Order: sequence, then C-alpha cells, then structure tokens
Amino acid sequence: MKKILIIEDDRLISSLVQFRLKKDGYETLLVQDGNEGVKAIDSWMPDLIITDVMMPFKSGIEIIHHAKKHHPDTPIIVLSALGEEEQVVLEAFNLGVADFIPKPFNPNELAIRVKRVLK
Amino acid sequence: MIKKILFAIFILFGWNSFSASAQENLVPKDSIEFWNFVNLQSSIPGLGYSWSIKGEIKQNQLDSLQSFAFTKTDSGYFSKVFENFDQITSQRAEIEKDSLESGLTFFVFTSPATLSATQEYVANLIRNGDFQPIFEERDAYEDLVALAQKAPYSPLLKFKLLFISDFKLFIVTAVIVFFFVVSIGMIIFMIFLKLKKSKRESLLQDYENRIVDPLTSLLFEKEMEEIQDMTVSDFYEYFPKEHLGNPVFKEVLIDNIIGLNKKMKGEFKEKLKMIYQKLGLDSFSLEMLESPKWHKVTEALVQINEMDLIEALPRVEKHTNSENFHIRSQAVATLLNLSEKVDLTFLRDQTFPLSEWQQMNYLRIIKFVNNFKPLKIEVLFQSKNPTIRIFGIRLVRMLGRVDLIGHLSEVSKSASDEEHMEILETFDTLGAHMEIHFINECLDSENEKVAFYAAKAAASLGDSTTVEIIYKRLGDKSHSFKLKKQLLRALYSLDKSRFDQVTLGKVDPVIVQLRAHILDPMLSYV
Repeated sequence: MKKILIIEDDRLISSLVQFRLKKDGYETLLVQDGNEGVKAIDSWMPDLIITDVMMPFKSGIEIIHHAKKHHPDTPIIVLSALGEEEQVVLEAFNLGVADFIPKPFNPNELAIRVKRVLK
Repeated sequence: MIKKILFAIFILFGWNSFSASAQENLVPKDSIEFWNFVNLQSSIPGLGYSWSIKGEIKQNQLDSLQSFAFTKTDSGYFSKVFENFDQITSQRAEIEKDSLESGLTFFVFTSPATLSATQEYVANLIRNGDFQPIFEERDAYEDLVALAQKAPYSPLLKFKLLFISDFKLFIVTAVIVFFFVVSIGMIIFMIFLKLKKSKRESLLQDYENRIVDPLTSLLFEKEMEEIQDMTVSDFYEYFPKEHLGNPVFKEVLIDNIIGLNKKMKGEFKEKLKMIYQKLGLDSFSLEMLESPKWHKVTEALVQINEMDLIEALPRVEKHTNSENFHIRSQAVATLLNLSEKVDLTFLRDQTFPLSEWQQMNYLRIIKFVNNFKPLKIEVLFQSKNPTIRIFGIRLVRMLGRVDLIGHLSEVSKSASDEEHMEILETFDTLGAHMEIHFINECLDSENEKVAFYAAKAAASLGDSTTVEIIYKRLGDKSHSFKLKKQLLRALYSLDKSRFDQVTLGKVDPVIVQLRAHILDPMLSYV
C-alpha cells in the first residue's frame, strides 16, 4: 500500500484530502505544520508528499528543500492557494515538484493527479 | 494590607516621637523653672546637689557652714552631695549672708553634670517610668502652657480620626489604595476574559472536531440528488439535533462551510451550498443581516455572497448606501456578484465616495461577471457622485467597452477636469480616433494635467490640426517640463519634420535635452 503524507494546516481540507485518498486505498498520514512535516518525512518515509505552501513554523518551500535534499526520489504535489503567485509556483517547480494544484480545487481531480504521479 | 503597614509605620515613628516630646516637655527648660521643679520633688533617684564657692573662705565662715562639710579643691570649695534638694536650700541663707560667690552643682550619680545634662537625665527617668514627678498645684489664672505641662500626656485624637484629619496622608493613601484596587480589578477582569476566551476557543475547537468528519462524509458519500432529497431529520445522523439548535455550533458550521466553499470547486461547491440551505443556515444568515452590529451584518453579507443566496438580494440592496464602509462595500460586492440585473443603479445612487480599494474590489468582480452578462456601465455616468462617474469611465477602459465611447463623448461635454483626464486616457487606450475633436480641445486646456493627457492621447490619435495646436502650444515657454516633453513626444510621433523644426538649432538647453531624450531608443519609455 502506497504511503502518502499530507502536510496541511487547514483541518477540514486535510481531512477531505485524506478521506478521498483513503477511498482509493492509500495509507495516509496527516500533519498540520511544517516542523511536524519534516519529522514525518524522515521517520515515516512516504511514497508521496502533498504539501501546502503557507504553514506555521516551516513553509512548504522549506519542506520541499528538505525532502529534495534527503529523499530526492519522493515525488511532491503542492496544494496551495497561492496559485496566482507566479514566483512561488516557479520556485516549487524549479525545486522539482511533480505537480502544483491551486486552491480552489476538486478532491477528485487531486486523486487523479496522485494516481498519475505514483505510476 | 496597606492600611496595616501604614499603621505600623505610624506607630513605630509617629507615636513614639509624639509621646517622647510630650514627656520631655514635663521637664522645664528654663533654669529657674527647673529649680522650682526640682524643689518640688523630695528627691530624684541618682540625682545629687552640691554647693560650690569660688575664692577663699575665712575659717569663721567655714565654721558657720559646717553642716555643708565644704572641702577645698583647685577650683574652689565644694560641699558634700545632698540627695534632697530641701536640705541644700534650707541653709542657702547662710551662704548668701556672707556674700560668698556661690553656685549649685548637679551630680548625676557621682559625676557633676551641667544643667542641660541634668534636665535630660530627669526627662529620661520620667520617660522610662522610673520617676513620677510631682507638680505644684496652680491656680486657674496661670497660663495654659503651664497647665498643659502639668497634665500627663494622652493623645488628643484617636488614631483613626488623626489619620483622617491629616488630609494629605489621607489623599496619598486613598490614591495608592485606589491604584491597587483598580490594578487588582483589572487583573481579575483580564483573567476572567482570558478564561472566557479560552473556554470559548476550546468549545469552538470541540465543535469543529464534531463537524469535520460528518461534513467530509456528507460530501463524499452523498450525491447531489441525495443531499437534495434529505430532510432536516436526516441531517441529525450527521449533526445531532441539540447541536444544530445551538447558535455557536451553527456559527462554527457556517465558518467551516464558507471556508471550504472558498477552497473547493466543482460539485463539492454545489453540495456545500445545498447542505447550507438544507440545514436552514441561510435563515440564520438573513437574521444576522438585521443585526445592529456592523461586523455581524458584514459577515452575513459574506455568507450570502458565498452561498449564492439570491432570495436575500432585496435585503442586501438596502445596505448599499450604508454609512459603514465595510457594510456598503460588501453589499455592493454581493449584488455585483449575484444580481441577475445588468443595470448598476444601486451603485449609481451611492452617495459616499468610492475609495481606490473599493474600486479595485468592484472591478475584480465586474471583470468576472462581465463575461456572462454585459453590465450597463453607462448608468454610472448619470451618478451625482463624481467618484462613481470616474469609476464608470475607468470601467469602460478596463473592460475595453468600445461600444460606450459615444456615451463618454456625451459625458465629456459637462465633465470636470478629472473626468476629462480619465476620458482622455480611455480614448487613448481604446484608440477612439473619432474623438479627436475632444482631444484637440483638451490640448488647448489651461489645466496642464488635462493638456498632458490630451498630448498623450494625441501621440497615437492626433491629426494635422493636432500638430498645429501642439506647434502653437510649444511656442509658450511657461509650460512645465513634463508637459513640454509630452507635447514634443506627440509631435515627434505625428510629424517628424515639424519636430525637427521645433527642436533643431534651438538654444534652449531644455529643448535640446528633450530632443536627445526622445530620439534615444533606450529612453523611449522613460
């Protein structure tokens, strides 16, 4: 079973994403801030990371930096409301993220993108 | 507490000093008075008296004063020390009879003492309670001070009364006590508020936890049609009845649905709206719309906007001219977003000036809405509010509404200078060649700003008349540098030969510099 780490400070959004991914048979872990996210990446060793950009303690960009340095093969999907912030999107892609999903989003669309990335 | 401390300080210093000074006053300071005082006492413990005689005493005199038992010393003769003052004064006449130079010396224990040392010694005895002085009975005619000296000390005022009678001390104490009471009161109030807030936060957190899972389940497990067919009692499986009746729970539920609605798209958005209405949360929003608190009304307007509550629009319209900036901004935004109407009369009739922020906010919505329904922006030109008219002109420019150029032309006839500038900029942006008459008129304007915008528009829309007007206008050297630059730029773009004619061979250094600037391709946009 593939393991997906969800790093998102919005409880309701993360719960929705988790619910949708569990429905597809993935094992999920939910963390709500950047520090917890970094710890979970190192200890839980997920197959995919879904992260927000604006979060307490550590931003999504810092998490991507950390993941790409220590676990370069783990794909990352960025889920953020900063869709219009071109610089953030460009920075995330330059760091090697697999996909960028701007909010508002459709959880079903997210599930399809997750499936494609994990293939 | 502070009262007790003050009391203790007062007792330590105040009481003792009052008491001591009162007892010292029992011993007369004056030497004669002191003699009289000593004379009244039969004996004072530790105090002795001796006669001293200076100079030589004849043997017969010495014999007559035998009872004094004088002994000769280097400084004269000294009698033996008497413990009783009566003894020493009874034979005083004997000494005075022989006209001897005599004096009285006090002895404290065995040492001679000065008058002041003796007075202090006696005062100490009285103060320590080792000696109780006797006072002469005096008649009432004697002075009050002397009478007062007779009376043993007792405080005239009781402590409490004294304390209150000392108004300075009372005021200082009152201020300190007030300060402490207020500080303690504030601390208690803050603790109370903090507790209340943390209690509310934990309650909100608890409600949120109770909302997340049922809402997620509803969104994923139920199809749109299924939610539509659900009754309120069906929802009780997800949200207990007692919670749904609780206004705080409703607020948390609304916040979560609104928050999720902003971040979701597709069928989830529609499901959220349906859940909102099925749970009767729309009526809760409508009730809030009538709240006397502005933030509640604004919140209700946001909810109506987010949840597309079209039936609430007539009530929303009432708030478009509200005195509160946030209410009217949100009301207009909601109407722009939800209203089926294409005319903007609600915006036209606004009496309050539109801020830049409001204009930006409305423009964002209008830009989005204009794709589905072409709004009647020309209505805004009829407004009595100049900021609304200017906003209308800007909208024509931002939305590229070429069909409204004719309306703008009409408006320009009675417009202010500020509106002229906006119209000129709009004509320039939309490439309104047919309005060149207006542009040429504005080029001749006395207002330099209007002329500047006209020159800007003329650069791309001008004709031969424009060239002549610019040429004529450049002859006037009183123009600002900014206007001169724009006029030359327009002339350069319309007729290069006339531009050379105006700028070549000129001694005016500004014209020479402007020519170099305009001709430099690197600076063409500077």
